[in-house]
Amino acid sequence: MKRFTIILIAVLTITTTLSAQGITGLKIIENVYNRPTGLDQEGDLTMSLINSRGDERIREIKQFLKDFGEMEKRIMFFVSPADVRNTSFMNWSYDKAGKGDDQWIYLPALKKVKRISSDSKSDYFMGSDFTYDDLGDRHPSSDTHKLLREETVEGEDCYVVESVPKEEEYMYSKTITWIIKDKWIGKKKEFYDEDEDLLKTLSVKGVDKIKDYMVITHSEMHNVQKDHTTKMELKNVKMDTGISDNKFTERMMKRGM
Amino acid sequence: MKRSVLTIMVLAFAFILNAQIVHHGFVRTYMGALTDQDGEYSVLQNTFDWKLDYGKGDVELFINPVFNYNALNNNLEVSLRQAYMDIYFDNFDLRIGKQQIIWGKADGVFITDVISPRDLSEFILPDFEEIRIGINAVKFDYYLGNSTLEAVWTPTFQPTIVPKKGSIWYQMQDFPMPIVYDYHSYDVGNKLSESEIALKYSYLGSAIDFELMAAYMWDDNPAMHIYSQPDTTLLIKPEYHRLPLVGASFSKAVGGAVVRGEGAYYFEKRFAVEDMAVNGVKEEDYAHYLVGYDHNWFGVNVSFQFIQEYIIGYEEDIRNDEFSNTMTFLISEDFLREALRVEFFTYYGINNEDALLRPRIVYDIADGFEFQLGANIFIGEEGNFGQYDKNDMMFIKLKYDF
Repeated sequence: MKRFTIILIAVLTITTTLSAQGITGLKIIENVYNRPTGLDQEGDLTMSLINSRGDERIREIKQFLKDFGEMEKRIMFFVSPADVRNTSFMNWSYDKAGKGDDQWIYLPALKKVKRISSDSKSDYFMGSDFTYDDLGDRHPSSDTHKLLREETVEGEDCYVVESVPKEEEYMYSKTITWIIKDKWIGKKKEFYDEDEDLLKTLSVKGVDKIKDYMVITHSEMHNVQKDHTTKMELKNVKMDTGISDNKFTERMMKRGM
Repeated sequence: MKRSVLTIMVLAFAFILNAQIVHHGFVRTYMGALTDQDGEYSVLQNTFDWKLDYGKGDVELFINPVFNYNALNNNLEVSLRQAYMDIYFDNFDLRIGKQQIIWGKADGVFITDVISPRDLSEFILPDFEEIRIGINAVKFDYYLGNSTLEAVWTPTFQPTIVPKKGSIWYQMQDFPMPIVYDYHSYDVGNKLSESEIALKYSYLGSAIDFELMAAYMWDDNPAMHIYSQPDTTLLIKPEYHRLPLVGASFSKAVGGAVVRGEGAYYFEKRFAVEDMAVNGVKEEDYAHYLVGYDHNWFGVNVSFQFIQEYIIGYEEDIRNDEFSNTMTFLISEDFLREALRVEFFTYYGINNEDALLRPRIVYDIADGFEFQLGANIFIGEEGNFGQYDKNDMMFIKLKYDF
């Protein structure tokens, strides 16, 4: 009984504190979602896939993305390894809740741009530990958010928010995100599988200020169940250079960078 | 001599432009054995596929020589799969030279995809990049937003390459009497008036992707005109004929899946008939169409296609069926972080109850270094696939991309 009382007092204290601040889990995630990320961006993405034995495989991609208001277009040109060279991938994602992405792939051997199923969001991107959905911006309305606590991680004051998907069949049962206060950028994220066991941990290792934007340039995804890690580095980042709308077309998918 | 000149030209090209040239391609060893014939080798092939890119400003050159050594007959074949120049402008591009041009939304089926003919020396078993024959053409693309208008002019005719006599893929034709061939009308002349032209409008957008096309082509396969001779032999004159066609294709996302369709209407295609009064050939309009469905279920890619061919104005003496129905089915899944792919693809001919089953596994030993183990299993007694019932084969391929 005494123990219960202490816990109850602690819970009430935290709830009171958080309510006093007037911020909710949803508001925090919305702030992250709405953080200015520029009108366009280009950069060289390097993924290092490291297995449990420490063997490393490298994937290099040149990517361009642009905000078109209610939609974002992204085009990726695969540079290495050699067997995927000149393959390109284009994704159009929409702000409108519930509207699925449009995706196309250009395979140089087939010489045609092919629309692909966007239902493959739980697929791992190029064999990495990131799924296609992990790489996109998940709309805040897709989950129910709850502010769990506040915590300091590596000297940064963070909100800790639990997000439970509204969709029953979603690949994660929940995620817990550490968000740096005032910067509205993630510091760490945990992904839980269908059995609510920890599956993966995403750690943000580097954030650069480019022009007026905070850009995550180095992150690591660790699959704790399979002991895989993917390091993702973004180099030569350019923001707001005025990338032409024509960059995100079938023509460019075929032509390449 | 021709081979030496080509090799020298390629090396000269590479040498002169070496500073800015980008080399890539693959080397591959490919071994296939017939399972019904004590493991007799059907393929023993080593290939060096070399792609050279050179770009300066808005002009790019591309050349793709292929060195193919066939150990079964100790023959080295050197060919140019493609060799072209791209010129880029603000709103349009030009591609001039030998090139592969691929149209349509179908997978492994050729409906509106009629621009580049096929090399069927090994039936349809090689990768599609290797089945397509590069054609000498001028291709013009004009872009407006998400729309593209493409025009292709092919000044010289390139027919389908068929398996040679003696090949396990050679299609024997049955005639009741001895036959004699007359090839006098066989070749299409190298004249401007004999060239081919094709137009395509395509759109790629959120709601749908589609293509509309029209072409004034040659049928890539000759019609066999048959004449009775006084000496009781049959005289066969193979002849190519014009084949105008119009067609369309689309692909659309529907609830996380992709639905595809493609169809073409061919005018006055020649068909083989029994009636000797018309020398064994009749002209009929012909339609060829397909619906397809692609989905990814929990990481497993599944794809179905139903294909129908319909001879319009069908008459009983036409050797083909009025309707020919075929299905394709593909299932594949990646494992080991995409280092291992397991795939099963099949064609099923409904009319003849024949099929081609193509299981294979592809394993990446290292990045760009791939091992394949697979089989081509033919089922049935007749039809496109059943006719090769004795050609079941297992194969391995080792491929290194650079």
